[in-house]
Amino acid sequence: MTVVGGDAGGLSASPPPNSVSRLVGSGRADDASRSPGRSGLFRGAARVAATLPLLALAGTITILTVKALPSIRVNGLHFLTGSAWKPGSTYGATVRTNGVEHPLGASYGIWPLIVGTLQTSAIAVVLAVPISIGAAFALTERMPTWLSRPLSLAVEILAGIPSVILGLWGVLTLGPFLAQHVYPLVADHVPDVPVLRYFRGPTGHGEGLATSGLVLTLMIVPIITATTRDLFRQVPTLPKEGATALGMTDAETARRVTVPWVRTGIVGATVLGLGRALGETIAVAMISGAALNSVSANIYGTMGTIAAAIVTQLDSAYTDGTGFAISALAEAALVLAVITVGVNLIARLVISRSGRLTAPVGRSG
Amino acid sequence: MDRNRGRRLWELAFRLGAILALALVVGPAAWLLVGVVAKAAPHWRWSVLFTPTTGASGGLANAITGTVVLMAGVLIVAGTLGVLGGIYLAELAPARRGGKQGSSVLRLATDVLSGVPSITLGFVVYIALVLGLHWGFSLAPAVVVLSVMVIPYIARSTESALAQVPTGYREGAEALGMSPGYALRKIVVRTALPGIVTGLLIALAISSGETAPLLYTAGFTNSFPQPHLIHTPVAYLTYPVWTFYNYPSNEAHTLANDAALILVVLVLILLIGARLITNRAERYSEGTGR
Amino acid sequence: MTRKTRGKRLVPVFVLAAGLVAAACGSSTASSSTSTTGSGGTSAATPLSVEKPPAATLSETGSTLLYPLWNIWAPAYQQKFPQVSINTAGTGSGTGISDAANGTVDIGSSDAYLSHSQLSSDPTLLNIPLAISVQVIAYNLPGMTAHVKLNGTILSEIYQGKITNWNNPAITAMNPGVTMPSMPIVALHRSDGSGDTFIFTQYLSKQNPSGWGNSISYGTTVQWPSVPGALAENGNGGMVSGCKHTPGCIAYVGISYLSQLLGDGLNYGQLQNGNGNFELPTPTAVAAEANYFTAKTPANGTISMVNGPVSGGYPIINYEYAIVNSHQQSASTATAIRSLLEWAISPTYGNSSQYLSQVAFQPLPPQVISQSTKQIAAVK
Repeated sequence: MTVVGGDAGGLSASPPPNSVSRLVGSGRADDASRSPGRSGLFRGAARVAATLPLLALAGTITILTVKALPSIRVNGLHFLTGSAWKPGSTYGATVRTNGVEHPLGASYGIWPLIVGTLQTSAIAVVLAVPISIGAAFALTERMPTWLSRPLSLAVEILAGIPSVILGLWGVLTLGPFLAQHVYPLVADHVPDVPVLRYFRGPTGHGEGLATSGLVLTLMIVPIITATTRDLFRQVPTLPKEGATALGMTDAETARRVTVPWVRTGIVGATVLGLGRALGETIAVAMISGAALNSVSANIYGTMGTIAAAIVTQLDSAYTDGTGFAISALAEAALVLAVITVGVNLIARLVISRSGRLTAPVGRSG
Repeated sequence: MDRNRGRRLWELAFRLGAILALALVVGPAAWLLVGVVAKAAPHWRWSVLFTPTTGASGGLANAITGTVVLMAGVLIVAGTLGVLGGIYLAELAPARRGGKQGSSVLRLATDVLSGVPSITLGFVVYIALVLGLHWGFSLAPAVVVLSVMVIPYIARSTESALAQVPTGYREGAEALGMSPGYALRKIVVRTALPGIVTGLLIALAISSGETAPLLYTAGFTNSFPQPHLIHTPVAYLTYPVWTFYNYPSNEAHTLANDAALILVVLVLILLIGARLITNRAERYSEGTGR
Repeated sequence: MTRKTRGKRLVPVFVLAAGLVAAACGSSTASSSTSTTGSGGTSAATPLSVEKPPAATLSETGSTLLYPLWNIWAPAYQQKFPQVSINTAGTGSGTGISDAANGTVDIGSSDAYLSHSQLSSDPTLLNIPLAISVQVIAYNLPGMTAHVKLNGTILSEIYQGKITNWNNPAITAMNPGVTMPSMPIVALHRSDGSGDTFIFTQYLSKQNPSGWGNSISYGTTVQWPSVPGALAENGNGGMVSGCKHTPGCIAYVGISYLSQLLGDGLNYGQLQNGNGNFELPTPTAVAAEANYFTAKTPANGTISMVNGPVSGGYPIINYEYAIVNSHQQSASTATAIRSLLEWAISPTYGNSSQYLSQVAFQPLPPQVISQSTKQIAAVK
């Protein structure tokens, strides 16, 4: 499930960047803190509420780390570099390594999952950015309101489609369609040269890297489109009119005025879309094939992501009576959290520099 | 001349490209919606709305009411905490030196939390509450995980809505001698209300469409929701979509398709509602010469 | 005591009856014939009475293969005892075991028995056989009407990428008179952890102990060898629909999905059993296999019924288990659990073909019923 940028959800009138009102507000806050009673209580409650996300974040990381410790102690760095998800003989003897009890032969490496996570997200971002910018232009420039309103709404609706429904559609409709009509065409006509060679070879039946990347594209396109659309609306009319007056075409205005004006905002929205693609679970679990041990040999093959592995492997992990498999999953969740938090921090950094985007974007399901 | 022709071609390509891009966004959305309706419509029975699930057949009344109860829980918990947090971030957080916005750590944490994958949150709540505190599959852990997911969203959209309240309103209230708390309640929050409500509706749309974190917190049940916070599982609409499409019987597939249709309708109602509120608010604020 | 010996004497009669019933596919006459045989044999034939439960709410979660059966059982049981309400959920066997162990649910269901490490960490857990399930090996070979003969060695080499085409000499040699097409094999395995994977990899391990058994072994998730083109699928439904879209595919699927896979144009193979014969998953072949393992089933129900050295036995069958903690916190919950499970394994109620045939399961043999009854009685 997706959230479009706070603005995209409807607050499309431009939020004044760090408006004066806040300065005024903070002045009044000092007054409020002096006056006891109801407003003091309110202030306290509001403060607690505002602190909750910080606590939740700290709690999440702490619980995952504690739960992951046995796996960290046994698997070490191999967890990140190894390519085999080996539960070991869960029905056989248990052994001890570094003081941690685990089934004989159990060892976990999530390199293929890390690669799969990055591959699907990369496909999504590379495709989504140009599509979103183009769609945002179409929505904001020279389109009558009676047309742009419903189309805008359609973009928001696409953002609101639950990911399990996108997954179902991807696996039952889009995947088989692409595998029958599109992938073979591409695979046969792409030249056999480095890089493009990755697009050749067996095309499978529609579950795998390419379909997952395309469905993730559909998920993040509305996020980036809606945010970019709102950014474009914030571009003052004067410079655009100036460019037109200088004889620039729309394309030139876009390239030289509008896009540079909001570049940092677009970068921020893109990184936020990336964050969502990295963490998407259910749809990818349905479409990717959710493989554990293999990196796809070409762009059509089945693969897996960290998030999909967590949801598909949790049940199996419980058959490991030593709890070691659960610990490995916790470590995988920790790695995923670190990657997505890192991506988000970068995004916030970019945005705080641009100071234009004020609401959070991106949610993963 | 040649250069001009090149420019015109480029302009044409740009226009076409933009329209093609828009089509690439809207087209799949339409394809998907039509697909969902086309799959569910041929076997649609209205009784699905009123009959509870019996196994993988029957209706979806238990899942519909379960989703409604979960959304109500999210509205109460995340709505209260998220709006309070947003008010704090926008209005009450102490300013820092140099006139810079205070509470940047809280704001950062809110934003970062909104990017943590829901499966990660679900896994943590499962370990900590379902198992750790022995709450079992039940309403409370499900509402907790959904709330943690959407509180950042509600807080930031509330903050954003408050930030858009024109400075003149605050100055006017102050000039009229209103106390800051009274002005906040009666003028500022009231003016920002459409924005806040829009944020809440979208947050509800998010929580109604979640699957991954609910699988390991809410459980599933054929019964209607019971008045117990813990130890009693709750049904929800995404479960039949995720589980029943994988079942051998045709009734199960029909239920999965029906659940998908109901979910889409629910989300559409929430999103269109949010859009209508925003449009009205925009027209209103334009009318008052903002 | 006398009950037990009498029960043993009746075994062959029962297996035959069970086979006939299943062959008749649960028509009403067939199900009435079960109950006639049951009550007509001796009173020992239905050795258990179903306790009258107190008002209670029971929760069940676990195996997705057993979930459809629970969904048939629960309303029927509640019709008899409306004071009990039952919540069922299909989350997977591992979750069923784990949630029963930590008390999140009252009854966990699992396709796989408890492992040594689980039993040592939760010694009060019981795995109680409830019914018998069967696994079929499905494939998508357009135009192939014969049931292709396969064995564990060939399957293990397919899943290791050593045999890659349907006309591989090893397969053609095993299927004289059948023209095997030249078509690449696409091996499908489950991406989610699964009891189906557990019994399938057990078959591969037992038939190919030095190859598969040594290097990969068995479990609900195993380290599948990386084979180009191999596909992972989510759930039995994913296996069937994936195979439907992939000519040349091969997949292991729970027998509940038999009619769906036939409807999707797939077919299923004959498997070589531990005695060297090739068998189809007919009720008779399943009964033969179950009969062999009945005598060997220990009191706690923990046994693998794969690859028995039985002439005429189909080699991949398993007990479906209820995982229950024998130490219940409330006596009334314990009584309700006992009542529900007694009802479920009773040949007159839950184990009658009226319910089992809907998911193509086979009933428990009488000796196992009496063993399960004893285990159920231990739930307090």
